[in-house]
Amino acid sequence: MKGARLHPLVVMALLLGAGVMLAPMVWTLLLSFKSNAALMADSGAAFSGPYTLENYAAILKGSLTLQWLANSLIVATGATVGVLVLSSLAGYGFARLEFPFRRTLFVIVLLGLAVPEQAVILPRHQLFAMLGLHNSYPGLILPSLTGSFGVFFMTQYFRAIPKELDEAALLDGASRFTLFWKVLLPLTFPAQATLGVFTFLAAWNDYWWPLISATTSDRFTLTVGLASAQMNYAQTSGLGFLMAQAVFASIPILVVYIAFQKQIVRAMAGTAVR
Amino acid sequence: MSGLELIDVSKSYGATPVLERVSLSVLPREFIAFLGPSGSGKSTLLRIIAGLETADSGEVWLDGERIDTRSPGARGIAMVFQHYALYPHMTVRENMAFGLRNAGVARDEITRRIAQAADILEIAEQLDKKPGQMSGGQRQRVAIGRAIIKQPRLFLLDEPLSNLDAALRGRTRVELAQLRTRVDAALIMVTHDQAEAMTLADRIVILDDCCIQQVGTPAEVYARPANAFVARFVGSPPMAMLPATIAGEEAGRVCVRLAEGTVLATAVPAGELVAGTEVEVGLRPEHVRLAAPGEAGLAAQVELVERLGDRTFLYAKLEGGAEIIALEPGFGTVRPGDAVTLAIDAPCAHVFTASGAAHHPEPRA
Ligand SMILES: Nc1ncnc2c1ncn2[C@@H]1O[C@H](COP(=O)(O)OP(=O)(O)O)[C@@H](O)[C@H]1O
Ligand SMILES: [Mg+2]
Repeated sequence: MKGARLHPLVVMALLLGAGVMLAPMVWTLLLSFKSNAALMADSGAAFSGPYTLENYAAILKGSLTLQWLANSLIVATGATVGVLVLSSLAGYGFARLEFPFRRTLFVIVLLGLAVPEQAVILPRHQLFAMLGLHNSYPGLILPSLTGSFGVFFMTQYFRAIPKELDEAALLDGASRFTLFWKVLLPLTFPAQATLGVFTFLAAWNDYWWPLISATTSDRFTLTVGLASAQMNYAQTSGLGFLMAQAVFASIPILVVYIAFQKQIVRAMAGTAVR
Repeated sequence: MSGLELIDVSKSYGATPVLERVSLSVLPREFIAFLGPSGSGKSTLLRIIAGLETADSGEVWLDGERIDTRSPGARGIAMVFQHYALYPHMTVRENMAFGLRNAGVARDEITRRIAQAADILEIAEQLDKKPGQMSGGQRQRVAIGRAIIKQPRLFLLDEPLSNLDAALRGRTRVELAQLRTRVDAALIMVTHDQAEAMTLADRIVILDDCCIQQVGTPAEVYARPANAFVARFVGSPPMAMLPATIAGEEAGRVCVRLAEGTVLATAVPAGELVAGTEVEVGLRPEHVRLAAPGEAGLAAQVELVERLGDRTFLYAKLEGGAEIIALEPGFGTVRPGDAVTLAIDAPCAHVFTASGAAHHPEPRA
């Protein structure tokens, strides 16, 4: 790839695409630096000064935004850790251990891939209401752990690791746990990173379940919180504040993207299993 | 009883038997090669010894202790895998230390042994590399290093040379020969390459059809193959097998009549070989040559000529269709399609009965 020159037309098409993608973000960013009053008069004012940080100050001072941010971080981190732990253990089990009904159970896991959230959300709501799990962190985190995808993904990844490695480790006197912990698990780090990033992003961006489960504003995640702050649907006032909230909410995501760029690109390219 | 002892080891996968009552004794410090065609159960037998596979029945003893009931790590055995099986995320040093750490060997002892092994195998500069940064030959050495560092009582190697290119294979073969002088352990190597087995092993174990066909030194399996299978399998090109009948005996040695009529006076003791028995006469290429002008011999048609520079093999067909291989020194002038006369060194012929049992020539007393 390096050194290969792209055709000028291709470069122009790419630039155009990038511009289209970037424009709304730049616009959001500019709006967030304008005072609400100035935008009320003319939303085109975003393209000229004066710019101000008052919207960000308002977030940090008055509102519940920081609480929502913390909630989102706790929920997304909890979901990510939970999914990684469960998927790794289950994936290892399905790929390497012999136990009764292994095939049947794996088929059930695969079937789980085909069940949309819409189909289970009502019974889940009732179940969680019965168990008193609404408006709690477990209530927000647990549904993420029921996803089949991670188990399926990690099973495939463990299966792709040559069995000779297990055998070498057994001959090296490793216990089953040492084999899992010191030999196989480290080899799945690329898969863990990919699965972790996607789980984190999905949990961070999830709107529907927190909207149902979290009804008190101190348990809102950022997505639900931001939507609730958007009281005037015509968006004639408070536009600057709203945009600042949006920018603020995307900072953690940006950090995740930058930190795990390599894994995300690799996962997108479909070469995660290698 | 020191050394390795296999007693009546049997194994089948589902309804397919792979090994049937295999018994074998390996002496301490002996270099054994398991030789056999693909699918003959060589790897399976090796893996049963290592504990990676459980036998359906039978026992495995090492240095007077029964080991088939133990876990693979507790048998005092090290194995070099066909694809090396180095831990990709660990450096060479960590790869070698892993087994010792699991065994609870003291840290400075581990360091000392790694330094020593790295020295012997000339991989000292590579200790901090990961396997992915190394060539196939280097990985092979690391795999060997990881095995010797455990100071095992028995080394197992599954097709150790099959992944290397021709040049490296020759060099590694020499290294394996040196390895056995450096370690105080028996070595068992699986191979389907008879040249490897012949050059390296003290004794060769030939496997086929779920059973050990023969155990012997390279010279024994070559000169006195236990049966028709071994005779065909060992030797390159292989022994020619000509259909014949026993014509009678002469001074206690049998004479055989080839299908096309010629009678050969062999040096095979008559024993229970009675006249009229259908047999096969086995002839190595070096015992078949082009007849001198005027000399009597077998008429044959040359089909293929294999010139190796210093010698030439002639693959020919006798009248009646039997195939025979002759050896001619030098480059030769015979061409495919030529009609030739072949002289046979009849006292060197082997006789195999229909059941495959071998009767070897014996020098006259
Ligand atoms: N895990 C297994 N399941 C079923 N059959 C097997 C298994 N391992 C080996 N076999 C069969 O056992 C036979 C011997 O295999 P193997 O020991 O690998 O032969 P070799 O190493 O001599 O080529 C082959 O026919 C192979 O198909
Ligand atoms: Mg094999």
